[in-house]
Amino acid sequence: MAKLTTEPTIYVTYIATTPEKCWQALTDAKFSAQYFFGQKIEGDWREGGKIRYRTADGGEHIEGEILACDPPRLLRFTWRIVGMPALRHLPDCIVSYRLEAAGEGVIRLTMLEEHPEGIDQRLLGGGRSGWPAILSGLKSLLETGAVPKITPPTPPQEMLDYMKEHGA
Amino acid sequence: MSNAFVYVTYIYATPQKVWDAITKPEFAHKYWMHYNVSDWKKGSRWEHQNGDHSGKVMIDGTVLESDPPRRLVTTWTRPDKSKEPSRVTYDIAEYNPGLVCLTVTHDQLEHDPGMAESVSGGWPKVLSNLKSFVETGKAENIWLIKNKG
Repeated sequence: MAKLTTEPTIYVTYIATTPEKCWQALTDAKFSAQYFFGQKIEGDWREGGKIRYRTADGGEHIEGEILACDPPRLLRFTWRIVGMPALRHLPDCIVSYRLEAAGEGVIRLTMLEEHPEGIDQRLLGGGRSGWPAILSGLKSLLETGAVPKITPPTPPQEMLDYMKEHGA
Repeated sequence: MSNAFVYVTYIYATPQKVWDAITKPEFAHKYWMHYNVSDWKKGSRWEHQNGDHSGKVMIDGTVLESDPPRRLVTTWTRPDKSKEPSRVTYDIAEYNPGLVCLTVTHDQLEHDPGMAESVSGGWPKVLSNLKSFVETGKAENIWLIKNKG
């Protein structure tokens, strides 16, 4: 039997920028394409609005609904993986970006990935390998102005096994 | 959940630059406000000295493994030896040319919950600041960064 988990994933990074600039980098496709594995974010930036991450060729990868939109402090939304057939059946997870002033010219960005409905614990490794790469690229982009793309890390073997069991 | 803290960050640099940032006292001082002092040979002592030049040892320990510039493992001990030591592993992997994936694992914290709490707040600050320092030459004064909003 698959072991289900509701354990969240959290990633905290400190960035020498303002909450406004970080909010723009999180919500503007010109920026996301540079650090989010080439994906473009689009959203109807209000509570109840839609949010999407599209791959470079325009295909939908992630879609969800915005649960909280309080620029430049909090963006919280449901997250459905629609671009990968083996993961389409998963229950929604909830992703939040929280931005807080942490000192003079430095902010703390906290990414929280929650699983209100349990998922197979082998899937947690996907976010745990992906988020550090995405948010490291975001930090470099904001601090240095330009970054070479980071290629997506290979998911952990147990996640690939899960995907194979589900038709990948 | 295991009693380990793991933090991963990607840094636009060579493994040697990241190794130097961790092991050269004057570099560590720039982003950590402490000097990391050792000859970094297996079995040697290392000290995490206060950056105020008092030389006061805040943490010390033993180098368990040293494979520059790829991997460093040390114990992490309170100088008063009031608790069992914990362990820190730095894995410095070249992910792409010019891009390092640094993984810091702080484990064996079962005997020191206070240290576990302290380092889980501290590592994201230290390693964010290390990344900024290596990539831009600039770092924040870590004492001025607030832990909580």
